[in-house]
Amino acid sequence: MSVTAGKMLARDWRGGELGVLLIALILAVGVVSGISAFATRLQNALTQESHRFLAADLVVRSSREMPAQWLLEAGQAGVSQAQTLVFPSMIYAGDDSMQLVSVKAVSSSYPLRGELTFSEQPFGAVLPVDGGPARGQVWLESRLFALLDVAVGDTVAIGEAEFTVAAAARTEPDQGTSFGGYGPRVLMHYEDIPATRVVQPGSRVEYRQLYAAPAATLEAFRQWLQPQLEEGSQRLLDLSEGQPGIGNALRRAERFLLLAGSLGVVLAGVAIALAARRFSERHNDYVAVMKSLGATSSRVNRLYGTSLVLLGAVATGIGCFLGWAIQSLFFKLFGDQLPVQPGPSGLRPYAIGAATALTCLLCFAWPPLRRLGQASPLRVLRRDAPLENRRTLGDYTLGLLAVTLLMWGYSRDWQLTLAVLAGLAITVLLGLVLALTLLRGGRLVGMRAGSIWRLALAGLQRRGTSNAMQVVIFAMAIMLLLVLVLVRTSLIDQWQTQLPEGTPNHFMINIGPGDVQGVDRMLRAQDIASEALYPMIRGRIMAVNGQDLPTTDDEEDGRRQRETNFTWSDELPPGNRLFAGQWWQPQSDEALVSVEREFAERLGIEVGDTVGFLVGSQPLEARVANLRELDWQSMRPNFFLIFPPRLLADYPATFMTSFYLAPGDKPFLNQFVRSFPTVTVIEMDVVVDQIRTIVNQVSAAIELVLAVILAAGSLVLVAGVQASVDARIHESAILRALGARRSLVLGGLFIEFATMGLFAGLLATVAAELSVFMLQEWVMDMRYAPSPWVWPLGIGAGMVLIGGLGVFSCRRVVSSPPVALLREL
Amino acid sequence: MIKVENLQKRIPMAGTQLEILKGITLEIKSGESVAIVGASGSGKSTLLGLLAGLDEASGGRVIIGDTDLGELDEDGRALFRGRHVGFVFQSFQLLPALTALENVMLPLELQGQAKAGEHAEAFLQRVGLGARTSHYPRQLSGGEQQRVAIARAFASHPSILFADEPTGNLDTRTGGHIIDLLFELNREEGTTLVLVTHDAQLADRCERRFCLEAGALVVE
Repeated sequence: MSVTAGKMLARDWRGGELGVLLIALILAVGVVSGISAFATRLQNALTQESHRFLAADLVVRSSREMPAQWLLEAGQAGVSQAQTLVFPSMIYAGDDSMQLVSVKAVSSSYPLRGELTFSEQPFGAVLPVDGGPARGQVWLESRLFALLDVAVGDTVAIGEAEFTVAAAARTEPDQGTSFGGYGPRVLMHYEDIPATRVVQPGSRVEYRQLYAAPAATLEAFRQWLQPQLEEGSQRLLDLSEGQPGIGNALRRAERFLLLAGSLGVVLAGVAIALAARRFSERHNDYVAVMKSLGATSSRVNRLYGTSLVLLGAVATGIGCFLGWAIQSLFFKLFGDQLPVQPGPSGLRPYAIGAATALTCLLCFAWPPLRRLGQASPLRVLRRDAPLENRRTLGDYTLGLLAVTLLMWGYSRDWQLTLAVLAGLAITVLLGLVLALTLLRGGRLVGMRAGSIWRLALAGLQRRGTSNAMQVVIFAMAIMLLLVLVLVRTSLIDQWQTQLPEGTPNHFMINIGPGDVQGVDRMLRAQDIASEALYPMIRGRIMAVNGQDLPTTDDEEDGRRQRETNFTWSDELPPGNRLFAGQWWQPQSDEALVSVEREFAERLGIEVGDTVGFLVGSQPLEARVANLRELDWQSMRPNFFLIFPPRLLADYPATFMTSFYLAPGDKPFLNQFVRSFPTVTVIEMDVVVDQIRTIVNQVSAAIELVLAVILAAGSLVLVAGVQASVDARIHESAILRALGARRSLVLGGLFIEFATMGLFAGLLATVAAELSVFMLQEWVMDMRYAPSPWVWPLGIGAGMVLIGGLGVFSCRRVVSSPPVALLREL
Repeated sequence: MIKVENLQKRIPMAGTQLEILKGITLEIKSGESVAIVGASGSGKSTLLGLLAGLDEASGGRVIIGDTDLGELDEDGRALFRGRHVGFVFQSFQLLPALTALENVMLPLELQGQAKAGEHAEAFLQRVGLGARTSHYPRQLSGGEQQRVAIARAFASHPSILFADEPTGNLDTRTGGHIIDLLFELNREEGTTLVLVTHDAQLADRCERRFCLEAGALVVE
């Protein structure tokens, strides 16, 4: 029988040597696979949820009719399909009543995802329904009943066809993605379109083909469909375009989860490296004895190599189970809050967990263990024979490579990886400065056992190099945790400020100048808080710097003439931020314009350019005074183009505003549209509620992930403290043997560790602020703001945690007889 | 037979070479028991380390049987130690995570011997620890730990046993018992015994002794 790796591991386990290494490995695998599986499943669930906003999984949009062949292909591929067409038209009721409306014709299978709702009477109880109107019927938006003076059961006409009014149309899952003009909504059946004869070639219409299928089937179909699309005129819609509020919330949440997972991996890697180093130090004597008894270097390497493989296999098995348990627990905690069932995560998260274990073992654990093969057998005779535990430049390079590889492999995001690496680099650099400062004094003080403070400070200086290394390790762990806490806090804060209670959930447009005061009065009378009333002028952007823009209507994006809404204002509206240029003086007579930044980019407009417009039939020229960024998720009226008031004073304008209406106040709308029949009210309350539900769920998930990463961070601190415990216990045991009081020994240890915690907290806070700045500006698409509260938190937590852990780890020194301790070490 | 020719050991210290052994020449016959004596710092343990192939010499040769240890690399010396050499140390050098039985089994396992457990158990019986096989070193007294170390040293039937201050950490009475045990097993196994000690009485029990002073052999 030979010494097998399995036996050695079993013996080490009994001897308590393996604990931290194994736990660190298990935690690495568990955190990575757990967060990965959780993120995948949550992503699946939220994507499914968010597909409700498209009413499908995949949508193609076009201004011309699309080939019916695509629908046939979809059917054959097992993909469900539906069609919609949105167009403006006049609707007639009797001889006198008519109204410009936005007609939406839907096929029988619409919607494929999400819910269509109606009510039996205008503004009545909202009921879900499987499909839209039957052939020959229409559903009218509630306020149209008053405008047209019709009731359910009456007849209306669109083009040459007559329809029976069957119900009130309330919400469509994809209404947020297709206002389709500004008239009230009328829903009809898709197959009734030809009978109306209103849709002719060249009409301003929007066709959509909707598809839904399980992910793999849909992906195959998407691959087939993509090359068939005509560039410019036919576009695939994805969630981010449809509903920027949800898209951004999800993207940021996903990035946060990736960031959390990446930090978890780094933390676990550091813990593994520390634990492996301690393991190898403790095995130096073991190897020396084995070598004195005849074991060769290659045999020692084989033994430890096999041990690592076995350890990796055990840790991967247990870690994957832990990961599965973590994500199950997360979903259990969610309970019934998720609107859709999370699908399975597949095996990929667990494969990522196994790959993490392998990388951590190879890059962090193997280098110190590999050197055991070179351990000198002379240590059996002479305890002062050198230990083979020096870290080499190669080790650090390998560690850095591994951290980079793991973070990038996990996040697939260079900016995220670099932001965290920059923070780590700052920590190490500042740590080196600290080390030099501590060492520069040389050995000025001896043991100085006279007082707690002098004892502690002498200890700090005596172990200058190793203490500085430890401070760097502690600082790295604290920094990573602070980064996560900071990003999480600003993410959740931002979401909450974006959609606070009372976020406007209704828009009002087409308010004529004569109605402005009346509308304002009526809202006030009902105690309804609204945003300011913004003037709105429809106009067309024609030329930049004297050069006409292309006129192609087919192209959705890019440089082309386009129609949009203008407004005027003397002040920068709330929620807007100047990006370049200056805002104009109030009462300015100059021909200036302020342009939204992304809109300007698409048209190639810069500050100082001259832009030509057409308002009605009158041309207008203005110089670009500034570019603005604005918050599209704020539910406030937002405009691409803003002019000084005097410039647009002579053009005909209507006004718009947004306001919050509580669910119980809905009947007010009935009263309102009767008083102001020409004003259009857009109900966004369902969408706002949906966004809020998702944001709340994602926030809860983020809190849970943070808790898991905090556990990983604590493990690094424990491993870091343990790494130096032997030397300190040895010294303290001698002090005890010489009669030192319990309070002197423990007090000295606490001050020594807490001082290291103070330095570590300070380094960590500086580095965390830098890292968070980079992460928020580059990765999370957020604005950085310094967080003063993080300074006392970082430094205080460093002192208390490390001081406490240090004393806890060394507590044996006052509870065990000194002789027993000295014999052990 | 152990043949030592002009053996030297120097270590660099503070920019100069510190000479620990200054050209030792000696011969030890098979089955002989010898003591290496001398004051602290005279180079006894260094000489033992070189004789046992635990360390590399700066000059001279150590030849054991037909093997010149200087011609072997560390792995070669490890294999040689495994086949021919046993050790007993002052600080016992038992592995704390292993039981008494597992400690004795270790060299046998390294040599890939079948029935290592049975063999080790038999040796523990011979040193009077048959009832303590599953105890860990921390659960044994100093004398008991040294007996485990002796069982481990003899378990692989080495042709040479090196003992470094084997009673240095023990009281006189326990030390006496340990030495009795060591010589008894040495006689039974026919092993060559090389023993480093301060203890004149212990040295007297050996057939010959070499006295080291400041790294050189002196004639007594």
